[in-house]
Amino acid sequence: MKEQLNGILETAKASILAADSEQSIEELRVKYLGKKGELTALLKQMGSLSPEERPKMGQLVNEAKAQVEALITDKAKELKEKATELKLKEETIDITMPAKAVKRGKLHPLNTVLNDMIDIFQSMGFDVVDGPEVETDHYNFECLNVPADHPARDMQDTFYLAENLLLRTQTSAAQIRTMETRKPPIRVICPGRVFRADEVDATHSPVFHQIEGLVVDKGITLCDLKGVLEQFAHEIYGSDTKVKFRPSFFPFTEPSVEVDVSCSECGGKGCRVCKGAGWIEILGAGMVHPNVLRSCGIDPEVYSGFAFGIGLDRLTTTRYKISDIRLLFENDKRFLEQF
Amino acid sequence: MKISLNQLKNYVEINVPVEELCDRMVMAGFEVESIEREGDNIKNVVAARITELTPHEDSDHLQICRMDIGSGKTVQIVTGAQNIKKGDLVPAALDDSYLPNGAHIKAGKLRGVDSLGMLCSGEELCLTEEDYEGAGVYGILILRDEWETGTDMRTVLGLDDYIIDFKITANRPDCNCFLGVAKEISVVLGTKFNPPVPSYKTVGGDIKDFIDVTVENYDLCPRYVGRIVRNLRIKPSPVWMQKAITASGMRPINNIVDITNFVMLETGQPMHAFNYDDLAGKQIIVRNARQGEKITTLDGKDYNLTCDMLVIADGEKPSCLAGIMGGKESEIEDDTKNLFLESAKFRRDNIRHTGRSLGIRTESSGRFEKGVDIINTAFAMERALQLIDELDAGDIIEGSIDRNLGLPEDRILTVTTKSILELLGVEIPDETIVSILNSLGLSTVYDNGTVTVKVPSIRDDIEGRADLAEEVMRIYGYDHIVGTAMRGDVVRGKKLPSRIKDDKVKSAMLAMGAYEIATYSFIASGAIDTLRLDAEDERRNAVKLINPLGDEYSTLRTQLTTSMLTVLATNINRKIEEGRFFEISKRFVPKALPLTEQPDELATMSIGIYGKDEDFFTLKGIIEEVMKLFGAHTQYKRSAEPYLHPGRQATVLANNKPVAVFGEVHPAVASQYDIETKIYVAEIKLDVLYTIEKRKTVYKALPKFPATQRDFAMLCDIDIPVGDLESAIISGASRLLEKVELFDVYTGSQIPEGKKSVAFSVWLRSAEATLTDEQIDATCARIIEKLTKVGAELRK
Repeated sequence: MKEQLNGILETAKASILAADSEQSIEELRVKYLGKKGELTALLKQMGSLSPEERPKMGQLVNEAKAQVEALITDKAKELKEKATELKLKEETIDITMPAKAVKRGKLHPLNTVLNDMIDIFQSMGFDVVDGPEVETDHYNFECLNVPADHPARDMQDTFYLAENLLLRTQTSAAQIRTMETRKPPIRVICPGRVFRADEVDATHSPVFHQIEGLVVDKGITLCDLKGVLEQFAHEIYGSDTKVKFRPSFFPFTEPSVEVDVSCSECGGKGCRVCKGAGWIEILGAGMVHPNVLRSCGIDPEVYSGFAFGIGLDRLTTTRYKISDIRLLFENDKRFLEQF
Repeated sequence: MKISLNQLKNYVEINVPVEELCDRMVMAGFEVESIEREGDNIKNVVAARITELTPHEDSDHLQICRMDIGSGKTVQIVTGAQNIKKGDLVPAALDDSYLPNGAHIKAGKLRGVDSLGMLCSGEELCLTEEDYEGAGVYGILILRDEWETGTDMRTVLGLDDYIIDFKITANRPDCNCFLGVAKEISVVLGTKFNPPVPSYKTVGGDIKDFIDVTVENYDLCPRYVGRIVRNLRIKPSPVWMQKAITASGMRPINNIVDITNFVMLETGQPMHAFNYDDLAGKQIIVRNARQGEKITTLDGKDYNLTCDMLVIADGEKPSCLAGIMGGKESEIEDDTKNLFLESAKFRRDNIRHTGRSLGIRTESSGRFEKGVDIINTAFAMERALQLIDELDAGDIIEGSIDRNLGLPEDRILTVTTKSILELLGVEIPDETIVSILNSLGLSTVYDNGTVTVKVPSIRDDIEGRADLAEEVMRIYGYDHIVGTAMRGDVVRGKKLPSRIKDDKVKSAMLAMGAYEIATYSFIASGAIDTLRLDAEDERRNAVKLINPLGDEYSTLRTQLTTSMLTVLATNINRKIEEGRFFEISKRFVPKALPLTEQPDELATMSIGIYGKDEDFFTLKGIIEEVMKLFGAHTQYKRSAEPYLHPGRQATVLANNKPVAVFGEVHPAVASQYDIETKIYVAEIKLDVLYTIEKRKTVYKALPKFPATQRDFAMLCDIDIPVGDLESAIISGASRLLEKVELFDVYTGSQIPEGKKSVAFSVWLRSAEATLTDEQIDATCARIIEKLTKVGAELRK
């Protein structure tokens, strides 16, 4: 019987070792350890043994069972791993195949840039306000120190809707509405659409967008204006950007300045983008004209303030190097996808 | 304003190179539009010496010259001229050179012989005998032997002038002239300003014996100065004057006309010269035109005048459109004998109106529109007489006419230096402030921090401390402005609720794959017709622009759909297969037409979609998501928009208010945009939607107990909307309803004619406990009961 056991054990070991599939190992499990398995059968023959041999033999068979069991489990595990490996290998894909598109839209580039600007100015404490696009002559011109027949009206060709009503030529009109409804300290920006009778071409559009900024408080200075615009320029053009003021004229500010920033393309050395100047003109600004403050019921002897107007369309076309402003209003999907 | 640099040097010392001058003027408020070097149109032309001269073998007149062009180089040039000899110094246009007449000279062959350029005549260099001796000779210009070979011809000809184009801002009309700019240069460079000091001799007589001047309207003509000059000696003006006039873009005519133009350019004061002998009644009357009066102006055009226009009339008729253009009849001509010379101030808005309504703009009217100084009027006259005397252009009669109602006094401003600096935020010593103001011709009295400034009328743009601050700063230098942080509380700015809601809608639209577009606020007047709206439709009441750029941009839009259709058409026509687009903008709704007050500007969103996966229901899905943002209770009703498919459109009610219309675009509308495919559009009234206050989001416990699903398959009349069946299920299931989903609609075989089969899955769940069979059965029975009520019977 012992020989028989050894014989079974040897055959079992060999067949387990040779097993090459999860199925064959399962068959071996049944063959040796199953209810009708060879080792189980051996146990059943124990009755023919002497009572002295019985426990000995029983122990031997049980040990053999445990050994076979362990071998089968290990082999089964090994085969399972192999099978998994094989399956995964078969599942290999070409990772350069196209992605399954997730459809997501994009903001219009003008508004992407506008949102950046709003973030910058909001973080500096500017509220974001709104004004009507159809304005009265009063708000668009009179209150901004541009009386009828003032030569400054020639600077802006205006679309009229009725004798006294027009499409606003500047978001500055919103300055007045703000100063009429809020008391200093005032810190607002007013982004919006403006209109001028410019024929459409690569750099002109009768519809464009401005962001007007206004600060009114006690002790506001021209240096504060520069401070705010420097922060803005650093955020938009990079932290090493320099800001330069040049004297200019706007009827609603005094002193008035044109604001240049060092060209971010060449760092001020002069290039094609800045037409060799090293500087790019980005906006007009100045200290709010005393007449403007007065017309809004704010005493210019007590309060001072500054205002600036940024052209959003120019900022957008420069940022993305868009060669033709008309593209902004054409809305070709292949254009809109790029931003 | 274009000015010759050499002309400016007559009035002010300029001790820096032209580029630096321009840079410094820019920083003082005078933008430079361009710097043009005189002779810029001559390129690569040098003084060259003829070292060898041989006849051309194949020609009886051509000569082959070996030319020394400097730096040890020689070239061969063939010429047809005969007035040259070996050793002559002549202008040689080398290969790739330009002449002032625009000619581009390149190397070539003349009858088989290489010629690497061209020898130039005086005429080819646009020179006259007056410019260079010998320039008028027929043949090559022989240069005086005073230049090294290879010297640039611009140097040889003394073309060292620059023409600078200064952009003069609207607040500085006093700088639209040589003297104004020169004065600023003197302040900027700190050099001496030398304006001319007029003096002249007269031939006696008394102007009163020659002319009678009446100003009828001092409001429009606050000052009128006149003089008489007799025995005119009309001839061309001197070269220096012609050069100055030409540099500034005007054309020399004769000495008298040129003097008036030169004085205008020099002083900023337009002048007018009348042929005295043509003035009827020896009278000058400054008056309003009479309705229907006519004038023929210098350029030969006829104008009908209206009584709001100011004219300078003689005893009978208008002789000049005041400040704008003279009349043909009293024009100065070569044989004019006697002159009445005018220097006046006219009201700028009147000149502007007259100029605009007649469509005339001249150098003169431009200056009057911007404003001329009432004091300068007399100075300009004196200067003109000085030039007439100097150029011996006529005999000046003693006496001056000067009509005015009193001249203004200097404006006195008293400010503290502290108040000026408070605006600027920089420290500038008081004495610097005072000296800057003085240098600008603003005389000051300083007393312990207080400055009293006398502002002459020519600087009437200076009204108060802000203006003084600007004057000080632009001379002191804007580079002294250093950025500082504003004082005040550190707070983050707020957005208006409408902008916050716009942002919310936009991010939802982006997440649903829609691209934001931007279109013009105005549309063509006929665009609305493409929507096939009824004649009474209120969207036809649109605000029109009085002065549009063209019909295409003539009408403020009352809806956004036509703009969206245009964008869809653009994309479809460019073979872009699919797209989702949206725009948030304003629709302009007039309260009344014609417009008497600002129209309502109402926030609106348009959506446009197309492509193989898009249909009515994908658009409905987008709209539903937008409605959910505001927690709106949404219903859909059939609508009847003429621009949409009659069977595929709906009105959306949010909390019972109509907020949107959407659907498939009617093919008759799409075809007007050359669109053949199916497209879907929506227009949402955000102004209405934004009035819905969304309830605060509060967490709802996740379900602890299982849900039970039951399917309901039923038969009903084909025209019963599935929405009605869904409502029936919702009301039947009541608060146990978790979800209801339509999963099948079927007509055809096995289904009776006029009926359809509809199937829903319904999920029931209670938050408190697992539903019992009894509860489920009871609920299903209620659902079936409600379904039966709307005409559906359960399929067995």
